[in-house]
Amino acid sequence: MLQNKILFNQSSVSLEINGLPDYSNNENQDNISIISQWKLMIIDKPVIEGNLDHLKSIMKAFYSYSISILNDENPSYNSKLIDIKPENCYTHILLLKSSKPKVKPLNIRIGNSIFADIINCFDQLGFSDKVKNIYSKEFKSLTNKKHSFLKDKKNISEFLLPPVVSLFSIFLFSTAFIYIYDNNENRSLLNYQNKLVSIQSINKLL
Amino acid sequence: MLTITILSKGKRISRESIQRLDLLLLALETIDLNGAESLYSLSSKLNLNDVLPNKVTIWKLRNNNPMRNSFNNNNIKLSEFNALIKLTAEMAKFLYPYIRQILQSRDDLIRNPKPWNEFKNRYIELISERFNTNSMKVKRLLDPSCNDEVFIKIILTLALCISEDGFLNLRRTLLNY
Repeated sequence: MLQNKILFNQSSVSLEINGLPDYSNNENQDNISIISQWKLMIIDKPVIEGNLDHLKSIMKAFYSYSISILNDENPSYNSKLIDIKPENCYTHILLLKSSKPKVKPLNIRIGNSIFADIINCFDQLGFSDKVKNIYSKEFKSLTNKKHSFLKDKKNISEFLLPPVVSLFSIFLFSTAFIYIYDNNENRSLLNYQNKLVSIQSINKLL
Repeated sequence: MLTITILSKGKRISRESIQRLDLLLLALETIDLNGAESLYSLSSKLNLNDVLPNKVTIWKLRNNNPMRNSFNNNNIKLSEFNALIKLTAEMAKFLYPYIRQILQSRDDLIRNPKPWNEFKNRYIELISERFNTNSMKVKRLLDPSCNDEVFIKIILTLALCISEDGFLNLRRTLLNY
């Protein structure tokens, strides 16, 4: 059966996806739902290729690494298949470990321009209507939950917090007033008792 | 009142986020010589006229950056901050070929130094023109011994926010400051 081939290009980087559509879902003949092979071609660098699992691992590595660069964290990523670490602020070292035995790891040095091209190729793939089963969002949501409160969707705690705070403040104020009222009442009782004692003492004297 | 103030403080945009966003916009202005005009025309295309009705509003919002000479703390709203981020991401998309060229020049500075040096010189020029040069942060930005790393990160941030969800990526990054 003839396989479909879709190319994503960004300047010096090309990502080639080979596979078949899912005929059981009556998918378009030009689509790819079953990825059998992919190739990442970078000018002047060896071709990187593999199966769907390898592609997902590499995408995850690149996205995690890029997020840590942007967040001013220590950018370093290690996994079974790929390691990425910075050499300096404009060069990155990729160490690709083959899943086949007796194959030496491949060391590739890339600059920021190529790094950005690779990320943009992966973004194109993630947003492509023609290739299914790869969503860049699942790799991007790995980190960065620090400011989730600023998301457009209101979460339940955000919804419940204002009434809870207002009820708590009403409770606080009312208890304070009860305390003051109690004190006044006690004082008036004491005064009354004092008066009685003084009347008794006057009676005794008389 | 106290509780309301505390709750509202949590949702305020940090100064660092505004600083970073203004530096990104300034980098775009460095690349596009007619940057201010392009930003305004782009805001109309993106239907951001309600939040950014004119060039003065964009300028006023950018003045929330404490590093600026004309710093004015207007407490930028989240909708205004988001509109500026949308502008930045969209503008970066248009200017990606130039952004990439600058990054490539920095990667290979010995063979192709011109784009990087031109960008850097003009960026420094704009910073010294518009920012408070007495501030320590600005002094550090203008220090040639350590500003390369900051400038590379700014250009790389722009290069990484050109996808369809570039606005969300950029927003996530900026709000982490």
